[in-house]
Amino acid sequence: MRGMPPDRKTMKPDLIRMRHIVLMLFFIMCVFMISVQASTENKFRLKPGAKGEICLKCHEPFKEKLKSAFVHTPVKNGECSGCHNPHTSAEGKLLDTVSTRICDSCHRDMVPENAHSMHKLVAEGNCVQCHDPHASGNKGILVKGGNELCLDCHKETADKIKAARFKHKPVNENCMNCHNPHASGKLDFLLKEDIPALCIKCHRTDSPAFGRQHMNYPVAASRCNACHDSHGSNRPAIIFEDVHAPVAEKKCNQCHEEAGSQAPLATKKKGVELCRGCHKDMIDTAFSKNRVHWPMLDRDGCLNCHNAHAARQKKLLTGTVLYVCGKCHADTVELQHISKINPKNPGLCKPVKEGDCVSCHSPHASDYMLLTEKPSMSFDICNKCHDWKTHSTHPVGEKIIDPRNKNLSVDCISCHRACGTANKPAMSQFESVTETCIQCHKELERR
Amino acid sequence: MRGALIHIILISAVLFSPVRAFSAGTVKYMHILSLYSDEKGVGLKNPEGVGCNEESRIIVADTANHRLLQYKLEDRTLTAGAEIVVPQVTYPVEVKFNSKGEVFALDGKQHRIARLSTDGTFIGYVELSGIPSPASYVIKSFEIDKENKIYVLDIFSGRVIVLNPDGTYRTHVNFPEGHGFISDVSVDFRGNILLLDSIQSRVYTAAKDATGFSPLTEGMKEQMRFPTSMTTDERGRIYLVDRNGSRIMVIGQDGSFLGQISELGWKEGLLNYPSQLCVNGKGEVVVADTNNSRIQIFKLIK
Repeated sequence: MRGMPPDRKTMKPDLIRMRHIVLMLFFIMCVFMISVQASTENKFRLKPGAKGEICLKCHEPFKEKLKSAFVHTPVKNGECSGCHNPHTSAEGKLLDTVSTRICDSCHRDMVPENAHSMHKLVAEGNCVQCHDPHASGNKGILVKGGNELCLDCHKETADKIKAARFKHKPVNENCMNCHNPHASGKLDFLLKEDIPALCIKCHRTDSPAFGRQHMNYPVAASRCNACHDSHGSNRPAIIFEDVHAPVAEKKCNQCHEEAGSQAPLATKKKGVELCRGCHKDMIDTAFSKNRVHWPMLDRDGCLNCHNAHAARQKKLLTGTVLYVCGKCHADTVELQHISKINPKNPGLCKPVKEGDCVSCHSPHASDYMLLTEKPSMSFDICNKCHDWKTHSTHPVGEKIIDPRNKNLSVDCISCHRACGTANKPAMSQFESVTETCIQCHKELERR
Repeated sequence: MRGALIHIILISAVLFSPVRAFSAGTVKYMHILSLYSDEKGVGLKNPEGVGCNEESRIIVADTANHRLLQYKLEDRTLTAGAEIVVPQVTYPVEVKFNSKGEVFALDGKQHRIARLSTDGTFIGYVELSGIPSPASYVIKSFEIDKENKIYVLDIFSGRVIVLNPDGTYRTHVNFPEGHGFISDVSVDFRGNILLLDSIQSRVYTAAKDATGFSPLTEGMKEQMRFPTSMTTDERGRIYLVDRNGSRIMVIGQDGSFLGQISELGWKEGLLNYPSQLCVNGKGEVVVADTNNSRIQIFKLIK
């Protein structure tokens, strides 16, 4: 019958022999694996029972450390050689491999594959910034306990939390209530869950008070952080500091359909036309210019850059100027970033250094190329900070024709690049001073 | 038999791997000439638009001078024609010919397309009549195919509206899901509609009668910085103006990267924030070299 073991007496001798061979091979393999494992575990051929005991003979202070409440498992097991090479290493502290990779060898699953957001320190492999690799009095062998660890680096957030008149309780309790310290698979800002699911864990959205506070608009499924600052605020209900006037006055129906209508969250008009109702002068001025910034003209209009309800940033911007501009102009922001960290560029132009794009560009509209706020990038805009007429090394001005191109004058951007120049010094368009000069002074070119 | 197969695989690997490695960047080009002024010697100022046709005509949108200029390019020699100044087009940013030699100019301030006769007389604006809801639209760019159908890039409602030559509505195709900022529309020799996404550096395509777009290329952020304008030639090659990268990128009709034309610079043959480009019947690539205030003409030699 199928599935029944064959009767031993009826088995052929060949089959029995084969079974013996397979069992023998399996036994040999097991012995081999065990010996390999043993040799890996004791690759330095330490005497029986030696292990970490040998290290502690010299590294005495560690004895005290090992009395901490939380000890790293390999340390607890006396396996110092799990991370350190006792003889020699190309890495500091005799580490067995590159310091930014060593934790990875055991803790491979800390970051989800294709994580949407990742803590910078994790990305850099700088685990020891938060964790003591040996032992600590804090759970997770963290170097500090509670929020102190996070807020030591996130000082701006720390100041904000401290200064906020209206606090958010979970923030004061533990940052980990909302954030994952390592990475988030699908969400921004290392969030554990998406908004509003994260908020709804504590806040009831079906209570009458919730409805009243939101003017009876069905906002239970909306993103709470469109209005509320999760880290605390000086405004009641931890509303962001900068609030759009209709929101502050609870006049939701100024922009949205009535709360009792069929589509209460729909806006009364689309795009820039919705905003024109109040910001008519500003929008009319923008539309009188030769060039309107394209995002103003699409279906989202002003909301491409501004938050309609409330915002952490002034002018209701959805982020810093650099963040907002970088959403589309990532290539230019990258140039700015590389220029900023370039040691050859200590004299980086202040607006470039600070990422203040609107120092030179008009974000809404302009009569000029690249939405510059004045006709000439050089003479009118650079001149706000730099008096080009006193440029000591070269004649510059509208009457000085560029030898390379008769339709251009020699101006600041003939040699310098305004938005940053990556690895080139002095915001230069070219790799070196020589290369800059020989652009026009061909007679000086070495052949 | 097995040995022979292994030999074939090894020889193929040796032979084909260098071809693949060098396949990117096989485009070779030469600079033919640069155009700086009109027939009276008045210099161009930030020209953003340039259009070509089969009869060697070139139309230039001399944007900051608020005018259009006509030229004829024959045997690599340019002849300047009269300037076209019409009050209905004060800030031309894009220009195209139709097969009758009429000029279509997009005014960047009004976001309207003006139609001019072959001698530059204003005929009227292209009015989008009979378009389905939503009725609101904002014209960012446009294209005209060989049958004189007009393809309007509507960034307000996120669609390409296809018009008959008389401006009446024919059909429309919505932008694809997950798109970034769509800057330009083009139509290749087969009638496929192409869309250019500047933020993702990606080209989308829709076959002649398709109802939606699909990606032709992956995001090409590695190859280009911020492409803003696009055209195709008779062989189906697609030319992208990488505005922030100051160069022209060439891709094949299957989306493969073929190479680049020019780079940032002020000397002749180099580009500085170029805008529109066109390819004429002789395969000459005419580029509005905007921040260099000139037009430049290149020829692909491979």
